[in-house]
Amino acid sequence: MQIAFFNQPIRKANQVIKKATKMIALASVTALLAAGCATGTGSEVESSDLGVIPTDTTATVRILMEAVPDTDRVKDLIADFNAVYPNITIEIEALAFDQMRDKLIASFQSAEPTYDLIVADNPWMDDFAPAGFLQPLDGRIANTPDIDYEDFFGPLREIADVDGVTYGVPFYNYALGYLYNEQTLASAGLSVPTSLDELVATSKALTAGGQTGLAMQPQRGYKIFEEWANFLFAAGGSIYNSDGSGALDSPEAEAALNAYVDLYNNAAPENSLNWAFDEAFRSVSTGASAAMVSYNWNLPALNSPDAGDLAGNFKLAPMPGGKQVLGSWTWAIPTNSAAPDAAWAFISWLTSKEVDVKRVIAGGAAIRTSTLEDSRVLSEGFGADYYDAIKAILSNAAPLSEGAGGEEMIQAVGTELNEAVAGTKSVKDALLAANEAINSIQGK
Amino acid sequence: MLIPLLAVSVVAVGFPLVYALYLSLTDFKLIQKGTANFVGAENYIESFSNDGFWGAISTTFTYVALAVLIETVLGLLIALALQKQKWARDLTRAMLLAPMFITPIAVGLIFRFLLNDQLGIIPFLLDGVGLSYDFLGSGRALFTLVLIDVWQWTPFMVLLLLAGLESIPKQPLEAARVDGASGWYILRRITFPLLVPVLSVAILLRSLDALKVFEYVYATTRGGPGTQTETIQYFTYQTGIQFFRLGEASSMAFILLLLVLPLIVLLFRRLNRSSR
Repeated sequence: MQIAFFNQPIRKANQVIKKATKMIALASVTALLAAGCATGTGSEVESSDLGVIPTDTTATVRILMEAVPDTDRVKDLIADFNAVYPNITIEIEALAFDQMRDKLIASFQSAEPTYDLIVADNPWMDDFAPAGFLQPLDGRIANTPDIDYEDFFGPLREIADVDGVTYGVPFYNYALGYLYNEQTLASAGLSVPTSLDELVATSKALTAGGQTGLAMQPQRGYKIFEEWANFLFAAGGSIYNSDGSGALDSPEAEAALNAYVDLYNNAAPENSLNWAFDEAFRSVSTGASAAMVSYNWNLPALNSPDAGDLAGNFKLAPMPGGKQVLGSWTWAIPTNSAAPDAAWAFISWLTSKEVDVKRVIAGGAAIRTSTLEDSRVLSEGFGADYYDAIKAILSNAAPLSEGAGGEEMIQAVGTELNEAVAGTKSVKDALLAANEAINSIQGK
Repeated sequence: MLIPLLAVSVVAVGFPLVYALYLSLTDFKLIQKGTANFVGAENYIESFSNDGFWGAISTTFTYVALAVLIETVLGLLIALALQKQKWARDLTRAMLLAPMFITPIAVGLIFRFLLNDQLGIIPFLLDGVGLSYDFLGSGRALFTLVLIDVWQWTPFMVLLLLAGLESIPKQPLEAARVDGASGWYILRRITFPLLVPVLSVAILLRSLDALKVFEYVYATTRGGPGTQTETIQYFTYQTGIQFFRLGEASSMAFILLLLVLPLIVLLFRRLNRSSR
C-alpha cells in the first residue's frame, strides 16, 4: 500500500515531465524552423532605376546613421528637403558606430526591413554588396541629369564601386591628415614635415619641456593600422601588391614600422600604448602634444572656442609624402528597402551641388571637388587653406582594405602592429605575420 | 504546475541553446542570404585547432583565477571586519556595495581615463611621488583588468560572505571561546569550515560571472597589447559579430560550455556534501 501510495504521484509527475518535454521539443523545433524561415526578402521592392523622382512622391524613408556631427548636419537639412518633397517623411535613427552593423544586417535579412536607406562604412561595402544586400545605383546615377557623379572625389567613388558596379553615393569622408599646432612649430623654427624622415625628426624636436611631438594612437586593431598606414604610404609602400596580395613584407613597410616604433618610444606621450582617438585629441587640444595624425574634419573641433585656450592655433596639412589613409561613408539603398525611389530622392537631393555647399559650410565633411572651389565655402567656411588641404588629401588617398573580409584583415594586421610597438614581436616578424593575415583572410 | 515553468525555461534557455547548437553545425555567416549549409563538426575542429581560441581561453582562466582569488581573500577580510562593526553598519555596507551598481562598460570607461597618463588622477598621484607606471602596457594590462574587476566585484563577495558569517550558529563559537581557543583557531577550525558552503557558492557565482568578462576589455584595451587581454568573450564576439562567422563563434561558445560544465558539477557536488 505504501509503495502504491508513493508511486502514483511519481508516475503522474513523470507523465507531466514527459508531456512537458515533448512540448518543449516541439516548441524548440517550431521556433528553430521559424527562425530559419525568418530570413528572406519577401517585401523587396525592385529598383526602378528612376533618376528624377517626382516631387509628389509619398513615402517614409527610415535611415540608420552614425551618431556623429555629420549626421546632425543632415538632420538640419531635412526641412529644406521637405520644401521640395513635402510628402516624403525622413526618419533618422542615429546609433553609436559599434551598434550599427548588427542592426543593418538584421534589417537586410528581414522580410520586413527596418531601414530603407543606410550609410555604410568603407570596409562594409565589399561585404554588403556581394552578399546582395545593396541595390546597384548605376542606372539611377545615369538617369539623374544634375548629379555630375564625376565631381565626387575619385577615391570616394572607388569605395562605392564593387566589382565594377556602383552601389552608393559618397556621404562624407574621414581621410586622415597631419593636424598640428602652428604656433608650436613656428616657435621651434620648424615647418610642416613633408617626408617620413622629416616627420620623425620634427616630432622628436618638438618633444621637450613636458610636451610631446606626436599624440599617437597605437591601440590594437583598427586605430594603429589606420595611423601606421600613413607612415607606410610616406615610406613609399602600399598595403596591397598590384595582384591584390599583401605587400607588408616590403622594405618600405619595415622602414615605416621602425619609424613608428621609434616615434612611439621617443616622441609620443608616455604610457600611451593603448591610446585611441579620444586621448590623442585631448592631448593635442590641451597642448600636451604638438600634433596628431587624425581625421581632417577634426580641425574645426580643435579650433572651436570650446576646445580650450589653444583654439585657433591649429592647422591641417596632408600627410608627409602626400598620400593618406581614406575612410568614407557611403549612402546606399538596401535591396529590401520599402521606399527605394524616395530614398534616391533624398540621396540625390542631399548630395546635389547646391545642397552640398550648404552642408559643407555648416561643417559637413567634403565629398565634391566643386564644393571646395565654391566661393561661398571659401569665404564662409573654415578658411581657404583648410579646404586646400582637404582637396590635396582627398585627391591622393586610399582605404585600408580592398575586397571582402576587410574588417577581419584590419583587426589582424592591427594586432601584429601593436605587438611590434609593445615589443612582444620584432618589426620583421610582426610584418610577416600581418602580411600572412592579409593573404589568408582575404584569400589572395 | 511544472509545465508553465518548463515552458518559460525552454523559451529563455532551451531555444537559444538549441539554436546555437544548430548554428555551430552550419557554415552560417551573418552576411549570407538563404539557409546555411550543414558542415558537421567542421567548426569544432576549426576552433580546436585555432591557437587564438586557446590563447583567449588561457587568458580568461588566468583572469578569472586571479580576480576571484583576490576578491575572495579581500571579501572575507572585509566581511570579518564588518561583522564586528558596532556603529554606522548600514551606511558602511551601502557605500561598500556601490561599485556593484555601476554598469561594467561605464566602469571600464571610467578606469580608461582614470589610468590615462595625461588625464588620470592615479598616474598624477603616482607622478607626485616620482613614479610612472603603464597600467595598460605590455605584461601589465591583464593585471590592471583584474584589479578593475576586484574593485567592482569584491563587494559582491563581501555581501555573500557577510550573510554566511551572520548565519553561523553562535553556540560553537561561544563554546570555543569558553574553552580558551584563540581568535585564529576559531576562524580556522570553526568559522571557516562552517562558511565553506557559502564560500563555494560565492566562488562559483563570481567565477561564472568573471568568465563573461567583455566590457572592461572592450572599453580599455580591445584585447591588446597584442593579444594579452583577448578574453574568450571578446574573441567570440569578434569571430561571430565583427567577422560575421556566427557558426564558428557558436562552436566556440559550446566548447567553453563543455569546459565549464564539469567545474560547475564538481562544485555543486562539493556544495551538497558540505551541506549534509
